Amino acid sequence: MYNSVKKYLKVLVLATAAQGLFATAAYAQDPGHYGLGRIATEEEVAGWDIDVRPDGLGLPDGSGSVSVGEGLYEAQCASCHGLFGEGEGRWPVLAGGEGTLTDDRPQKTVGSYWPYASTLWDYTRRAMPFTAPQSLSVDETYAITAYVLYLNELVEEDFVLTKENFLTVKMPNAEGFFEDDRPDVKNTACMKDCKDPASIKVISTIAGVSPTEHLEEKGAEESEAAEPGNVHGKAIYKQSCAVCHDHGVAGAPKTGDNEIWADRLVPGMEAVVERAISGYTGEDGVMPPKGGNMSLSDEDVTAAVHYMVEQSQ
Amino acid sequence: MKKLSESTTDLLQEIKAEAAELPQKNRRDFMLNGLKLTAGTALATTVGKVAAGQENLPPNIPAWSKTLGRGVVSVPYGQPSKHEADVVRRTVEWLTADEIASISMTPLHKQKGIITPSGLHFERYHGGVPEVNPDDHRLMINGLVERPLLLTMDDIMAFPSESHIHFLECPANGGMEWRGAQMEALQFTHGMISGSEWTGVMLSTILQEAGLKPGAKWVLAEGADAAGMTRSIPIDKALDDAMIVFAQNGEMLRPEQGYPVRLFTPGWEGNTSVKWLRRLEIGDKPWMHREETSKYTDLLADGKARKHSYVQEVNSVITSPCPENPAKRKGLMQLEGFAWSGRGKVSRVDISLNGGVSWQTAQLKGLVLSKSMTRFSMEIDWQGEPLLLQSRAIDDTGYVQPTYAQLREARGTNSIYHKNAIHTWQLNTDGTVNNVQLG
Repeated sequence: MYNSVKKYLKVLVLATAAQGLFATAAYAQDPGHYGLGRIATEEEVAGWDIDVRPDGLGLPDGSGSVSVGEGLYEAQCASCHGLFGEGEGRWPVLAGGEGTLTDDRPQKTVGSYWPYASTLWDYTRRAMPFTAPQSLSVDETYAITAYVLYLNELVEEDFVLTKENFLTVKMPNAEGFFEDDRPDVKNTACMKDCKDPASIKVISTIAGVSPTEHLEEKGAEESEAAEPGNVHGKAIYKQSCAVCHDHGVAGAPKTGDNEIWADRLVPGMEAVVERAISGYTGEDGVMPPKGGNMSLSDEDVTAAVHYMVEQSQ
Repeated sequence: MKKLSESTTDLLQEIKAEAAELPQKNRRDFMLNGLKLTAGTALATTVGKVAAGQENLPPNIPAWSKTLGRGVVSVPYGQPSKHEADVVRRTVEWLTADEIASISMTPLHKQKGIITPSGLHFERYHGGVPEVNPDDHRLMINGLVERPLLLTMDDIMAFPSESHIHFLECPANGGMEWRGAQMEALQFTHGMISGSEWTGVMLSTILQEAGLKPGAKWVLAEGADAAGMTRSIPIDKALDDAMIVFAQNGEMLRPEQGYPVRLFTPGWEGNTSVKWLRRLEIGDKPWMHREETSKYTDLLADGKARKHSYVQEVNSVITSPCPENPAKRKGLMQLEGFAWSGRGKVSRVDISLNGGVSWQTAQLKGLVLSKSMTRFSMEIDWQGEPLLLQSRAIDDTGYVQPTYAQLREARGTNSIYHKNAIHTWQLNTDGTVNNVQLG
């Protein structure tokens, strides 16, 4: 009886697998060898299983246009990736770079390097925007994906990306990758007279690019003491605030911008600290409570705000 | 014997007077503390006559021998001596856009064995360190399995476990040096590697529990961090030596290393050992996500890129001397270093003192384990002559660590990852050491 049920389940599994449906009631319900854990429900799996593959497996129903994507991109992506996908600071460049892969300084962008559009959809949905991952809806993800493809001149201005037409998007560098074939170099273990000593040229490092402060002779306590000012505030700032306030993401006042900070300080320091702790939404931007890091204490946030103000006067 | 100074005698009198008014138990504690204080005063009086800086040297008795030390559990979780405060992870700020999706390096110049203290293990995050509550953490296994499972940490830790010593290395280790020497410190040229004892369940055991369906060829590992970090792992590796790890060096994983549970793929590039592991999906094809297309692929000079370049090939470096550990004296000197290979055991390490003109075989020391950091050393008699020091490791597949020229000829200079070239330290007459490359 047990075996026949198991056989039946197996047949059902194969039948559903053949239809391309992996999640249904067809799973074996008997425990495994150790009997550990429990069967995940379909709903539980659906909540976490958001990945998308190049063949479109995992894409949910939905759609988004280049024009809707433009608005979303400018509000949520441009502060790091640049209005045209050119990248701010050292944040990733998303567009351009076609034909540069053999250059001395190649520019690896979505258009010039990425082999699959599904990668863009998947990553945007799971990890973007950087400060608020998994906050975009399915349609918003389609729209932003469409817009980034448009920035790379891979789709037209009036394009609407959908689950149905997704696989029609062809990426220029789709054929640019090959499977690992290493070892690709073959050195030999020569022991004597391996090269002419006169041929050796010693090439030194470029001065100034390597941090070397820690190599200088001084005690640890001294180097601690040498750190000026608000050390705690600086540490909290670097950890939890710099992502937005270094670059002005989401209307955040940029650290070091004296003018904008003078403006924000009009209601007084106490009010600014209160906004940072409790959150704030206004025409000039959005400040999530404690910058979204609820593990910070009020004292941490206060120290960080003081640090930012010190840096902006 | 010298009489106690007047001030010390006064102090003792004072303590005695004050203590008289206290209950017995308190009085005893009070007196004890007071006596410690006078001991300090007496010492200060004695050492006043000794040359500054010599107080603790023979024939004097050092301060720490003349006072009581602190008691048990005064520091419930032990910390390194305050005199080791410079032994810390460090980063190179300009490498990344911010500190959240960034990397820090292990102080290899201070590492004294094949195990890196957990707190010094190099860090690499794509969305910062999540604060995961283990009670609310679940590992989901779905896709081409008989039983989609949801496991708690208790469930995971109830499976049979194993412990293995392995290195973990970021494929970008040394990546700043492709175009030429840049970093004036071992910590920055080679510090994206660490070694640990990892304890957990073999991934094959857990996949067996879920039951693989026909067509199961790939495993997608997904993290619970803000990057939702994902990598596709071929089923052969998953069933070979991959582990679901919850402990490192005898204690639960540090948050920076994936607390409470991570994947561990011995010998493979570090990012495939997905941290804060929350889900394994079994499928018939790789997912080709961002960290296996846009990143962690190796662009060659011809514009083509190598993908699925998982294994960390054999590599080695001399850790003493190095820029952080200059030669302090002439005479017998121990050259020391680490070698490792993602394909197996280190079988031999050769050392050159003259920039690769001639080589001598070094001694392997301590444990020589597969896919693990391995110590090597050689004794030389250094009389202040300038040297060009190199190490060249060979693993048990017979693969010999390549030269920069060989790597550049095969790959160009834009690969970013998997740079395992023979490294050169220039030891100068004054004992200082510089990072150089040879033309």
